[in-house]
Amino acid sequence: MTDRSPAAAPDAALVRRVLDGDVEAYAVLVTRYRSRYVRFATHMLGSVEDAEEALQDAFVRAYRSLARCEDPERFGSWLFRILVNRCRTAGARRGRRERTIVHDEIALRDAAEDHPEESVAWREEIGRALERLPLEQREAFLLKHVEDLSYEEMSAATGVGVSALKMRVKRACDRLRDQLREVYSA
Amino acid sequence: MHEGDEMIERVAMTLRRETAALSPDFDARVMQRVREEARVMGGIGVWRWMTRPRTIRVSPLAGLALAAGLAGVVAIGARGNDTETAAVPAVSPVAATSASPSAEQMMKFVFVNPSASSVAIVGDFNDWEEGGSPLRRMEKGVWTITIPLAPGRYHYTFVVDGTKWVADPMAPRTLEDDFGRPNSVITVGDATT
Repeated sequence: MTDRSPAAAPDAALVRRVLDGDVEAYAVLVTRYRSRYVRFATHMLGSVEDAEEALQDAFVRAYRSLARCEDPERFGSWLFRILVNRCRTAGARRGRRERTIVHDEIALRDAAEDHPEESVAWREEIGRALERLPLEQREAFLLKHVEDLSYEEMSAATGVGVSALKMRVKRACDRLRDQLREVYSA
Repeated sequence: MHEGDEMIERVAMTLRRETAALSPDFDARVMQRVREEARVMGGIGVWRWMTRPRTIRVSPLAGLALAAGLAGVVAIGARGNDTETAAVPAVSPVAATSASPSAEQMMKFVFVNPSASSVAIVGDFNDWEEGGSPLRRMEKGVWTITIPLAPGRYHYTFVVDGTKWVADPMAPRTLEDDFGRPNSVITVGDATT
């Protein structure tokens, strides 16, 4: 039997309902994508609090501009592109402001419970190394190796050419290797 | 597998396993803002936005003028440094002054288009508000505005005659915005990100 509940509706149908004035249909899209995208924002910005803010902004901006979503079936990709931009803006504004460690307590706890073999020191070092990456390299690394996007998908999400993205990923990996070699070997 | 690649894979695996817990009221807060947006936009504002005739008065003369248009931005001093230096021809939007790293700097944006009726600027610094910040018309079709900006990187674009989004041709690079249109980027001060 086909599930006709709003939660099972495809993105395009939900977008159409919102454009027709059903604001509450947007809540389904929020629920659908918030957990999927919060990890990227948290790694980019270094705290769940900042990630929430960026994610919230992305959802609101997407709603405000929903009529400009040319392919509603790919609402998720479109939203993600907005989120990437919000993270860039938020990250740039933070500048050298003191940041919290990327791997906040909640994330650490969850990971430690599932994978106790991964030491706290290892995760903290990853957090510090990630923080030291230039924003554009961090973004490229996360999209490629953590979010598992292809270079073409990364290019669509960032507006940056594939060659430049490959270079950013390579440089990010080189830096991470340099910074983590000691703790990795321990 | 090379040890370095193994290390990167382990880093990625660690990061992939992490889950960040959003606040329990996250959805409610987002929807509250969305409902406010809907109210402000008149309920059917999104749809109305889509059906509004926004593009484009296609005029060969206007197109030529736009094609010939020049724009740019220049740092003219740190905020608190009372005097603006004399107007300087548009230069690279990557600008820095001798002000302290955290001080706001007065950035002068210049756009040249003799045939425009209005020119505004929208960007991260005014939250991309529709309408943006209007530039003032000077002599010979030169439009300017001075905006105090803290060190950092900002995306922006000009809006000509309220409808046409035009990236700064003087900017060294442009990126697409959230909606696929060209943006310009300005870096103020020593923003390394």
